Amino acid sequence: MTLDYVQRANEIPLDLKSKKLRLLVLDALEGGGRGHLGPALSLLEIVRALYDSVLLHDPKSPLLPIRDRFILSKGHGCLGLYAVLADRGYFPTSDLKDFCRFNSNLGGHPERATLPGIEFSTGALGHGLSVGIGMAMAARLRAEQWRTFVLLGDGELNEGSVWEGAMHASQHQLGALTVIVDFNRMQASGEVDSIVSLEPLASKWKAFGFEVLEVNGHDIVDLSRVLGSSREPFGKPRAVIAHTVKGKGFASAENSTVWHHKAKISRDEIFLLRNEMSR
Amino acid sequence: MRQKALLTVYKLAKQDPRVVFIGSDLGAGTLREMQLDIPGQFFMEGVSEQHVVGFAAGLAQEGFIPYINTIGTFLTRRAFEQISIDIGLHHLPVRLLSTGGGMVYAPLGPTHTAVEDIGLMLSVPNMKVFAPADAFEMENLLSTLVEDKDPHYVRFGKGGESIVTQEFSRFDLGPKIFGNESAEVVIFTTGIMLQHCLDAKAQLESQGHSTTVLHFPYLNYLSIESLDSYIGSAHIRLCVEEHVPRGGLFTQILHELISAGRPLTSLYQLALPASFSHNYGSQMDHLESNGLTAPKVVTKIKDLVSGSSKSNRMRI
Repeated sequence: MTLDYVQRANEIPLDLKSKKLRLLVLDALEGGGRGHLGPALSLLEIVRALYDSVLLHDPKSPLLPIRDRFILSKGHGCLGLYAVLADRGYFPTSDLKDFCRFNSNLGGHPERATLPGIEFSTGALGHGLSVGIGMAMAARLRAEQWRTFVLLGDGELNEGSVWEGAMHASQHQLGALTVIVDFNRMQASGEVDSIVSLEPLASKWKAFGFEVLEVNGHDIVDLSRVLGSSREPFGKPRAVIAHTVKGKGFASAENSTVWHHKAKISRDEIFLLRNEMSR
Repeated sequence: MRQKALLTVYKLAKQDPRVVFIGSDLGAGTLREMQLDIPGQFFMEGVSEQHVVGFAAGLAQEGFIPYINTIGTFLTRRAFEQISIDIGLHHLPVRLLSTGGGMVYAPLGPTHTAVEDIGLMLSVPNMKVFAPADAFEMENLLSTLVEDKDPHYVRFGKGGESIVTQEFSRFDLGPKIFGNESAEVVIFTTGIMLQHCLDAKAQLESQGHSTTVLHFPYLNYLSIESLDSYIGSAHIRLCVEEHVPRGGLFTQILHELISAGRPLTSLYQLALPASFSHNYGSQMDHLESNGLTAPKVVTKIKDLVSGSSKSNRMRI
């Protein structure tokens, strides 16, 4: 079953919208001359599905009280989020070229104080879930209908604080809380299995009291269907394990630790990546 | 002090639905009445300081005013990153109520004594740090600052301390002055050490040494430049604090004196040592052994007056 998902994540082709978003990621990467490319590409379709067809949100009113909350707990994947937010009109796409520059609104990790659409500043791993639990509890205490989504990386699951949060989410029966795991099976130093194996990952989340679903993390239709299904405020929280490919879409970056993060990226490298996307 | 603080949180929560209490496995019966009365505003989470701080940040981001209570060392050491990022960076009005400040938990060993908590919390941008002297001041502080937009760290004493701040009926962020201008001796202090310092003041004055005690329940900004008439002409200026020597009140005093261009002469410190204690006993045993009780403070000051003790004179 899992191998099937991995195969499907590898094989699914990118549509025009996904290619366009990847070119926006490259704009930022080129502007900053650095960045986390691989993590941004594994989560790109997840974030696209959320902002295109799942979340209640309004780019013209980023703090709309009834909006659904989305926390990118793996903040190092922010290039993917920036591309989607720019595409949806939260800020001009031309801002992307300022990525990581001194006066930019777009840092190497997302900040609520500087960029519209960022729900919570992240970067240190293992924070987003408990913050999301607090937000989900706030909605329930006020009998408000908005939902909370928290996107975690698989490497991030090494953090003990994630599992502290997981226990409390199910203890509180936060049915309107959805955890999404970007399960690309790679972390900074290599394959997840060679560092700290997460398997059996679905069983782990079930054992922590979650309703668990698995999905091809690059299949927009599947993601939209799974993430968009209705939730009740009381009940099991939900964990969606999204099988993804680190660096998805660029052959040279796929499943590559080299492209997890680069502190210096040449224009030649960007040129080659752009060429891959235009094929 | 803790009991009064928790009951104050209950009272505030009854008046304001934004106020919620969050504990971290604090023991059976904690705020039982609040739990039964307003269960939606009471959370007893597990032994999980990192989660508790993040949870509170999420609630605060959505407009609630969470009061977290647990043992101070676990909050400040274990959850420092959550405090710094989730609360400090986001500038959220989360209240960290810290049980067992200083050597309260001395019998439980160095894992439980909060001797560097003030320094840690003062290092977090946006965090306001408080060390009230008694339950009266604690209640005043919590009630007065409920609407304050900053995050707070509040150090608790052991409880049962004598009430010595009753003349200050309303809490403000300024220093509390016990004594007159131009005294021979000025003692700077914070938290429950105020009681020991006031006892020392009485003993010193009975022996002919005019003494003023300056209590700083709010530690971020001491308003030192407004205290010239009290500290400018003092022969002895001694800081007494239940904290490691660096990062606490004395560091704040030095910073403000230097910033204000005031001299650093005749400035001394009594504090806990810059080491983990491997002794147990009681809080008082440790205050005694480190020269922080009233008789020891008096002895220290008399030695300084007579010129026989210059062992920890500041050298800048």
